Amino acid sequence: MSRRGFLNSFGMGLGGIALGSLLQPGALLGATDGRGVMGAPHFAPKAKRVIYLFQSGGPSQLDLFDPKPTLIEKHGTELPEAIRRGQRLTAMSGNQASLPLVGSPFKFAPRGRSGVEISDMLPHISGIADDLCVIRSMHTEAINHGPGVTHMQTGSQFPGRPSIGAWLNYGLGRVNDNLPSFVVMVTKGKGGQPLVSRLWGSGFLPSENQGIRFRSGADPVLHLQNPDGIGRKSRRLMLDRLRELHELQYAGNPDAEIESRIAQYEMAFRMQASIPEVTDISGEPEHVLREYGGDVKKPGTFAANCLQARRLAERGVRFIQLYHPGWDQHGSLPGGLRTQCRETDQPSAALVRDLKQRGMLDDTLVVWGGEFGRTNYCQGSLGKDNFGRDHHGRCFSLWMAGGGTKGGTVVGQTDDYGYNVVKDGVHVHDLHATLLHLLGIDHERLTFKYQGRDFRLTDVHGHVVKGALA
Amino acid sequence: MGGVRSLAVTSVFYRRLGLALGLACGAGSGLGQAVDFERQIKPLLSDRCFACHGPDKKARKADLQLHTQDGAMTVVAPGKPHGSELYRRITATDPDDLMPPPDSRFALSGQERELIRRWIEQGAEWKAHWAFVPLGDVALPALGRAAWPQNEIDHFTLAKLRAAGVEPSPLAKREQRLRRLSFDLTGLPPTLAELDAFLTDASPAAYEQIVDRLLDSPRLGERLAVHWLDLARYSDTYGYQVDRNRFVWPWRDWVIRAFNDNLPYDDFLTWQLAGDLLPAATDDQRLATTFNRLHPQKVEGGSVPEEFRVEYVADRNHTFGTAMLGLTLECARCHDHKYDPISQKEYYQFFAFFNNIDEAGLYSYFTPSIPTPTLLMTDAAAKQKIADAQKEVAAEEARLAKVNAAAGEAFEKWLAARPAEAVLPGQIGHFPFDEFTGGKLANLAPESKPASSSQKNKIVSGKTGNALRLTGDDGVNLGIGNFKRTAPFSVALWMNTPHHKERTVVFSRSRAWTDAGSRGYQMLLRDGRLSASLIHFWPGNAISVRTKAKLPKNEWHHVTITYDGSTRAAGLKIFVDGNRAETESHKDNLYKNITGGGGDTIVIGQRFRDVGFAGGVVDDFRVFDRELTGGEVAQIHDGGSLAALLAKPAEALGQAERATLRDYFLATANEPHTAQLAKLRTARERVTQLLDGKGEIMVMEEMRLKQRETFVLNRGVYSARGERVGAATPSALSPFPPGAPGNRLGLAQWLVAPENPLTARVAVNHFWQLCFGEGLVRTPEDFGTQGKRPTHPALLDWLANDFIDHGWNVKRLLKQIVTSATYQQASETRPALEALDPENLLLARAPRHRLSAEMIRDNALASSGLLSRRMGGAGAKPYDLTESFKPMGHDKGEGLYRRSVYTFWKRTGPAPVMMALDAAKRDVCRAKRENTATPLQALVLLNGPQFVEAARTLGERMVREHGDNVGAMVRDTFRTLTSREPSEREAALLRRLHDEQLAVFEKDGKAAAAFLSVGERRLANGLAKPRVAAAGVLAKALMNFDESVVKR
Repeated sequence: MSRRGFLNSFGMGLGGIALGSLLQPGALLGATDGRGVMGAPHFAPKAKRVIYLFQSGGPSQLDLFDPKPTLIEKHGTELPEAIRRGQRLTAMSGNQASLPLVGSPFKFAPRGRSGVEISDMLPHISGIADDLCVIRSMHTEAINHGPGVTHMQTGSQFPGRPSIGAWLNYGLGRVNDNLPSFVVMVTKGKGGQPLVSRLWGSGFLPSENQGIRFRSGADPVLHLQNPDGIGRKSRRLMLDRLRELHELQYAGNPDAEIESRIAQYEMAFRMQASIPEVTDISGEPEHVLREYGGDVKKPGTFAANCLQARRLAERGVRFIQLYHPGWDQHGSLPGGLRTQCRETDQPSAALVRDLKQRGMLDDTLVVWGGEFGRTNYCQGSLGKDNFGRDHHGRCFSLWMAGGGTKGGTVVGQTDDYGYNVVKDGVHVHDLHATLLHLLGIDHERLTFKYQGRDFRLTDVHGHVVKGALA
Repeated sequence: MGGVRSLAVTSVFYRRLGLALGLACGAGSGLGQAVDFERQIKPLLSDRCFACHGPDKKARKADLQLHTQDGAMTVVAPGKPHGSELYRRITATDPDDLMPPPDSRFALSGQERELIRRWIEQGAEWKAHWAFVPLGDVALPALGRAAWPQNEIDHFTLAKLRAAGVEPSPLAKREQRLRRLSFDLTGLPPTLAELDAFLTDASPAAYEQIVDRLLDSPRLGERLAVHWLDLARYSDTYGYQVDRNRFVWPWRDWVIRAFNDNLPYDDFLTWQLAGDLLPAATDDQRLATTFNRLHPQKVEGGSVPEEFRVEYVADRNHTFGTAMLGLTLECARCHDHKYDPISQKEYYQFFAFFNNIDEAGLYSYFTPSIPTPTLLMTDAAAKQKIADAQKEVAAEEARLAKVNAAAGEAFEKWLAARPAEAVLPGQIGHFPFDEFTGGKLANLAPESKPASSSQKNKIVSGKTGNALRLTGDDGVNLGIGNFKRTAPFSVALWMNTPHHKERTVVFSRSRAWTDAGSRGYQMLLRDGRLSASLIHFWPGNAISVRTKAKLPKNEWHHVTITYDGSTRAAGLKIFVDGNRAETESHKDNLYKNITGGGGDTIVIGQRFRDVGFAGGVVDDFRVFDRELTGGEVAQIHDGGSLAALLAKPAEALGQAERATLRDYFLATANEPHTAQLAKLRTARERVTQLLDGKGEIMVMEEMRLKQRETFVLNRGVYSARGERVGAATPSALSPFPPGAPGNRLGLAQWLVAPENPLTARVAVNHFWQLCFGEGLVRTPEDFGTQGKRPTHPALLDWLANDFIDHGWNVKRLLKQIVTSATYQQASETRPALEALDPENLLLARAPRHRLSAEMIRDNALASSGLLSRRMGGAGAKPYDLTESFKPMGHDKGEGLYRRSVYTFWKRTGPAPVMMALDAAKRDVCRAKRENTATPLQALVLLNGPQFVEAARTLGERMVREHGDNVGAMVRDTFRTLTSREPSEREAALLRRLHDEQLAVFEKDGKAAAAFLSVGERRLANGLAKPRVAAAGVLAKALMNFDESVVKR
């Protein structure tokens, strides 16, 4: 087939606008083709996409989702050794001479018809209690942020493994020709523990599977905008000539790499239109914006990112990863927690409601949680109205909504001191296995051979949490 | 298809190609054909059986091992498939009998079962894994008459091509060969002058002359270093979360220098592994060992130091394994390797080689200390200055001894008229801890301020009056004590400890424990023993002594530490109850200041994130700004012994008593002694100044006072210690050289011994990959049984032998590769060949692949004339670092235009341009990069300021040189960016492109001006902006043209 014939048959005669959707996806994205290695899911998926609202720093489960009357009763007394049993603490409070228990100053109450207990700190999330599956028995080996977040996002505490979204890209492939399938957004201007780009990296998987971070502002993707002085029309003119040049080259040397190069530039050109379209919220009706709260119009806030997440989900983006840092209340917990909740409570609930109204919650899984929980004892000195909590990996809480999870349920139980899991523990690997399961993937079968061995997101562990499934 | 010969595609061809490519032939096809154990059977056994019947002893089921011949033959009867248990089990109909278990992911296909049947039928040939077999003699394949080969390499490739019935590709066009060669050897395009010279040079030696010139170019080292930096996980920051900057670029410059100097590769490896252990090691040899310290390092508060220290050693081990041995050692960290003959114990025996350095698990948050061990960065002049200053200290010390010896007469005079009272001068703090006044505790020293403390520390009855019982969480701040390491000082107190913990801080002058590298000085109780230390960075830059005896619990004891300002462990003394305690030196290597980092005053009983002195009681705490003598210490302890001596008649004094008084006299009443002490201190301060002014870089250095023990770590967990092991190499590999030392130097000798089956093979494979994009072994990181087999095993071995025989000469090896006919083939493929050998395993053509990230950026800079050729130095910060996930400001001027090998590497947010173009992330050792084509790359190349600026700058030159001669401009731009002449049609197309853009810019002059102001470089005056802008867009288009970014 001549190059010209090839292009015509793929609808590229005029401007090449329709090329990408018709051309083999493999040509677009190089090493693995855009279809994903699995071809089809292992079984019928419940969820088609995931919005993961990562609460970075370790939200205090004892003040938000896991009520402990015993701690209120024993407030100020020492953590009994019978409960701690010599388990390792971080080196921040591990050498403290005194470890006094802290009861939560915040009120808990049963919410919705299901009666899931949630604290007063989260009034909006309390309002969607019947859609939530709250896991109170999450646990991890990590006790510090770096390893903890890395574990939650890649299944390993140490750097080098692919992130959840990268595995999904690798397994299931690309969904939309004009947008990346794995998008990351980090709340702007929050201090807190630093996040690093490997958290959405592809590890040893081909790099096209990595997450694409949307930045707030004019250029959501690196160099999306034309340089100063270059308009869209003149860029199109240049790209047309460049394409013709490549066609000439292809005529002399029919090499698929050249086709791939043409497609690469056409898709870039389309992304220059499609990404601003998705990030432009001027068309959102006022009543929707109001739901997400006052921050929604400030680019880069958690509220703005939640709305953005919904818009991306509507356009087929499969894995949308938000990060909201700042949950690391070693000291001054009451004040710090209030700020965090003010920033996240309303938008998180609004997102779930918004998805539900659009009929998208059924096949969109929303996950809300951090890398570990916080201690039942005080870090530093216990003041009258003030205290801090150190990192705690033995138990923490996380919720999921939609996407085939069972609303209005609580999974797992911790002891009266909120120190250890006593029933239905859910390890990080189990959460990953469940997440993949909801997406129609058998976590033991999505593997990648690297350095001679088959790797998977759940390593050699993981059980689907049956109690969380609808 | 011009010039490319068509293939005769026949069934014979398919079969031979299938064989040549190592494809497993299906059942029914090629019956009777020999099964190749290594290619067809071993991978099957490894993949499907080894997990349960392989090298991992713990995972082994039914005590059956299929990774050894002896083991396998217990279930295989050669020649008799149906008499073989193995075959019976893999074909069993009863699911309980069937192997691999039907519910596992290891199931065999019908074809695979048939392959095993035929293998057994043909005699069950068994061979050791190719990469573990020592290199043997390799004969050149007999080719008969063949005009094609240029050197030995081509004998091997041609033999394989002939076996497959495939013709090699013709010689690539001249300009293509030059361009390929320039990028492969220097990472830069040829200049037009070089191109013209080569095109017109008809001499047969022309190509070779170019090769020689490029091999001599300093750009060679910059090009080769990039790959080594990926392997070495080089980064200008520490990594993990906090990811501060670190000073390691001198090592990067050493790598470049080593390649340019053609340091033999065995030395290149030896220096990096063990340069510090070479006899009379030079600074360069020690600097080379920084290789082992380039792993990520942690500072995050609350981390467990040992967990990360173990991680560092493991990373060293893995990097060594991947980069030098092509082995996946990490697979044996938690259990025996599932596929290769490396047991978990052997993993930790390797680990032991890298475990014996005096390092910390965390670097310091509060100070910029360089994690130890370090090398001081000094040149010859600085070394001389330091040596001179140290000589001066020695001279002053000798003078002090003389002054002391000469003080006899003065002593006798003083003795005759000595004071009656035991005065102890220099006391700058004296805290009796008798009562709180507000949050203050009185200080009896003259002109002094009280101490401050939380009243959670309680006043209790004490040794003398009251004392202070400590909570362990609340410190007592004395407000004094910021001593330099040249300053003598003493601290004395009464203490009563209720416990012997692993660690308790009694007092310190220090902002924090690990978070400040313990900078300052401190006294701890370690398992009941008193330990005193002066520290720049713990553990490698410190002096520390510890008492041999434990301090009894629940009793009052008086403790004094005295220090003489010498920076030696011997100058640090501990006294218990007035007597000098017997101590041992734990650390005796302090060479930088102990001040700084915050926490400038003595705090008792607590330190940030350290173990406080909970329940401990302290009393009568005193601080002196000089070294107390023994008599004075005794006086403080018992309140009278020195006074008694002073009162004793001279003739009644014994020898020891006279000596005590003499020391007291010298320290307090002898003017020459005091004056000499001051001189000595000045001399010491001079040394300190010189050393403090010098930078340091992390290197390897063995622990001397005590070797660190290594244990098997169960499940790889840092705290789960198992059997103790020593340093050793695995039994399945070549023997450790007799007489070689059992340290890293011995390891290096083992590594580069000709008997080692892996090192040279792995090395030549790296260099082959640099030229061909893919190695002869396409898994450069894994030469084990799960890795890919070499496409040309005999060639790999021949090259490895030849490399060793010629002194591991890298430039010679590169020359062999690039002057081979194989390398010089055209890269265009033929449809039939593409269908049959899409991965180019036969090397029937030259490879084509996108240039690396560094090459693409350097190409834009070189073509536009912006490239700076300055070598070495701190990392440069080009435009895109402002767009990184961890944004930082970009450089001004030259730093924007330096070669990409010098780009500042921030581990948690590397340069976005490098990342978009598939550069390695450098978190861990990587032996190969990906080569993708994504729309994000297109956006970077089209819109990134670096590339826009380069394009418009090239456009500017074109307008300057060609004015409105668009034809000449098109030709020049095209040649500059692709190294070839455009065809008529291409030129016409590009003229059209130019004219269209010119029309746009002439209509919109503002757009032209805006486009021409992208980047820092100012446009020259007097040029028509629309013209320059149009020429810039022309250049931009061509910079994105396939032939500009793809090596063909």
